[in-house]
Amino acid sequence: MTHWPRQILAWALVLLLSGCASTAPGPSATQQPEVEARVREPARQDSDGIQVFPLQNPAVKELLADASNAEQTGDYGQAASYLERALRIQPRDPEILQSMAEVQLQMQDYEQALNFATRSYDIGPRVGEICSRNWRTISVSKEYLGDSKGSVDAEKKAAVCMNTKPRGL
Amino acid sequence: MSPGKEADASMSKRKKKTAARRKKASPPKQRRWFGKIWRLGLLLVGIFTGLMLPWVIYLNYQVTTEFEGRKWDLPSHVYARALDLYQGALLSRSDLELELKAAGYRAASDASRPGLYRVSGSTVDIYRRSFGFHDGFEESRKVRVRLGSGKVTAVSSLPAGQSLDLFRLEPSEIAAIYPLQKEDRTLIRIEQAPPLLVTGLQSVEDRNFKHHPGVDLRGILRAAFANLKAGKAVQGGSTLTQQLVKNYFLTHDRTIARKFNEAIMALLLEAHYGKSEILEAYLNEVFLGQQGAFAVHGFGQASLFYFDQPLDRLEANQIALLIGLVKGASYYNPRRHPERARGRRNQVLASFAETGLLTEAQARQQAALPLGVTEKPRTRGTRYHAFVDLVRRQLAQVYQEDDLKTEGLRIFTTLAPLVQEKAQAAVSEGLKQLEARGLSPTLQAAMVVADISTGEVQGLVGDRNPNRAGFNRAIHARRQIGSVIKPLVYLLALEHKQDYSLVSRIMDEPISLRQADGSAWSPSNYDNKSHGEVTLLEALTRSYNQATVRLGMNIGVNHLVSRIQQLGVQANVDPVPSIFLGAVELTPLEVTQIYQSIAAGGFSVPLRSLIAVQTADGNELVRYPLRMVPQPNREAIAVLNYALTQVVEQGTASALPGLLAQSGTIAGKTGTTNDRRDSWFVGYTRNQVAVSWVGEDDNRPAGVTGSNAAMQLWGRLFRQLPIESVDLRMPDGAYWLWVDRNSGLLTLEDCEGAVQIPFVDGSGPAQSTACMSARQDDEESFWRKLLGKKKQ
Repeated sequence: MTHWPRQILAWALVLLLSGCASTAPGPSATQQPEVEARVREPARQDSDGIQVFPLQNPAVKELLADASNAEQTGDYGQAASYLERALRIQPRDPEILQSMAEVQLQMQDYEQALNFATRSYDIGPRVGEICSRNWRTISVSKEYLGDSKGSVDAEKKAAVCMNTKPRGL
Repeated sequence: MSPGKEADASMSKRKKKTAARRKKASPPKQRRWFGKIWRLGLLLVGIFTGLMLPWVIYLNYQVTTEFEGRKWDLPSHVYARALDLYQGALLSRSDLELELKAAGYRAASDASRPGLYRVSGSTVDIYRRSFGFHDGFEESRKVRVRLGSGKVTAVSSLPAGQSLDLFRLEPSEIAAIYPLQKEDRTLIRIEQAPPLLVTGLQSVEDRNFKHHPGVDLRGILRAAFANLKAGKAVQGGSTLTQQLVKNYFLTHDRTIARKFNEAIMALLLEAHYGKSEILEAYLNEVFLGQQGAFAVHGFGQASLFYFDQPLDRLEANQIALLIGLVKGASYYNPRRHPERARGRRNQVLASFAETGLLTEAQARQQAALPLGVTEKPRTRGTRYHAFVDLVRRQLAQVYQEDDLKTEGLRIFTTLAPLVQEKAQAAVSEGLKQLEARGLSPTLQAAMVVADISTGEVQGLVGDRNPNRAGFNRAIHARRQIGSVIKPLVYLLALEHKQDYSLVSRIMDEPISLRQADGSAWSPSNYDNKSHGEVTLLEALTRSYNQATVRLGMNIGVNHLVSRIQQLGVQANVDPVPSIFLGAVELTPLEVTQIYQSIAAGGFSVPLRSLIAVQTADGNELVRYPLRMVPQPNREAIAVLNYALTQVVEQGTASALPGLLAQSGTIAGKTGTTNDRRDSWFVGYTRNQVAVSWVGEDDNRPAGVTGSNAAMQLWGRLFRQLPIESVDLRMPDGAYWLWVDRNSGLLTLEDCEGAVQIPFVDGSGPAQSTACMSARQDDEESFWRKLLGKKKQ
């Protein structure tokens, strides 16, 4: 008789845990390849080795590397924290802003991913690999935000990052 | 023995006693006496128990409540941002020294210990303390920083000398949010305490601590004997437990009753808690000094207070000094009575040697060392009231005031001490200078400085005397903003790209509008003149009222109201035409928010003072991440940014460059309200936006204008900060064109009167100047010639 509550509790716990396991897979499991496959890899291919980055401050380089390591291990909060520190050093660095956009994508905060990528594009080179990453991030974000037309348009813009001369320079 | 057996045993004892009494019957007289004493004894026991038991229960309640409650009463600590040092960081040597001092560093001839730095020419050696940053713990470390031309030129580690890409100073503690009783603790766990402290304390204060039940009869006798022998009180017989109790109920009367209560409570404490728990409480509780209104409790805090070092870095002689202070923190105060303190410390060291904690030689060597106490304890309490006020306000969205006062939270903020210090100086010295020029000595001011891209508030001043905690004008003073609003009217115009560009022409002439109450409103210009047909750019840079109202009326009042809100300000704004001239009351912080959005090219970031909050032992509770809200029509905002640089270049703020030490492209806007009650200046460089306000608290006419007061303060601040030029690159949807300065027609770079002006795509002039047309004709004929065709 007295064992009943304990048994019920145990079963509830088992059910709860199995529920957790089946409904909440770690974001790193599904997101990591997506950012790699849909943003970084195609952007690398687009750029075909052409880099339009400004010379990078070694301090920023170190923080970007730290952020990238944190991202690899799925610690996106820490990655974002490193990137914020990098932004304090170089607030208008398109590479940091784009990396932040990709971390937001990993965290499934598509709105912020969109915003950071847009800001990166606005103040970035608007050509080359980073431009391609900008638009691909915007495309993926818009897709998740339910704007499929915007997503397709952004994808197209990524393709022209390699052959248009940016205006307004 | 099981309870059953125990009962059996006492039963059999009682039986034996009764049997014995029957055997040896005493004489009746004796029996009567015995009975009387017995009854008296019972009575006394009864009275004693009846009175004492409730008393003991009461004491028990008191002492356990105190013990449990005190364990967690910790103030929260508020930290500034950590300063990053790397090659290229914009920082002068004096800036670095200012930051070091703010973080409690001391200059020395050698940076030999954490907390010290050494300056030699353009090189600064720093021994950084170990610190738990909001994103991770870092060990103490010695580095060399080289500076030159306002920049860090190299950072390397010492002694090896290898170059470091990035290094940070631990942040300065800017405030502690205290519980009501003014105390501060740096809690230590018994496992973290240096072994010499734990054993040494017992060897000096209570050698029998491990074995007594809270009160040590042998100790009392020994003390009494020693005191008798000396003829005065030389030794105390109080155990550590009794001393702990005494600390809980800080009364200094030495009555028998108090001693009795202390003893009872000590016994009770020992009955409830283990020795190590009691010792840990003692280490954190004992009174070891006084700093102004703040009592210094516990060894962790005392270590910082006297040596500016964490406890685990102390040497034997320093531990001995702290233990010595237990006997009388004010009598042996090492800052006031160094000789006494030295004597006491050496007594303790001798006691260490006597009990074998140190060898004789070690004790002698330690006794020869100087006290090593810092000259002054680190500044305590809140240094930057106005900023901490903002921190509290933003924290209040998540935390109860009570949590802040008792949970020992570690609060990491965005404050940049060097910006804050310079802003404070700019405000107080600037106002003094205005007074010397004949303005009122009661003028008040506020200033807000923020990083444009991250929205981090770097400095905030809310009073002409920054050390005064009181009405914080930066956050709470709602004042009319005057012409500071005008850029928004022009922004709305630029957003109507079919109708307006910066070279569009509008009329600056008298205008009369009917107000809601039926009366007429006819604004005049600052110089009481009308300027006829002017471009938007001229009207904005020269801040013409009549042209602005006319433009505003074409756009609509409601558009302006909703744009203000869109830019991140949730203020109630009356949709009346006078808002085109700034008849809207905003705080300096709100104005900063609006201009952050503009300066960031339309990426609004809510201004924040917080980065993260941790528990006392370093677990993250909340992080305040950077978040952006993009504004619509960012291309129009980019064009507006250019127009605001022209305010400084050739408009109402053209005196600003003269106030600065460096050149660079700055954007800004002056603001003056009716009867010169308020003076505003908003300005920004590439990465920083700052807003200053000057006026009288009672809103009386103050004789101030945007450029004669607030801009002076702003200039004072930026004369001391690096100036990086505003980023004027246009985003997609806007571009630069060469136009003729006078006609606004499209022209070529080398035509006379050509100026480059940004346009929102589709708003550029359709016609070109004669110079441009002629050149195009020439070009055309060149091609014709080249292709062998003759002009018809």
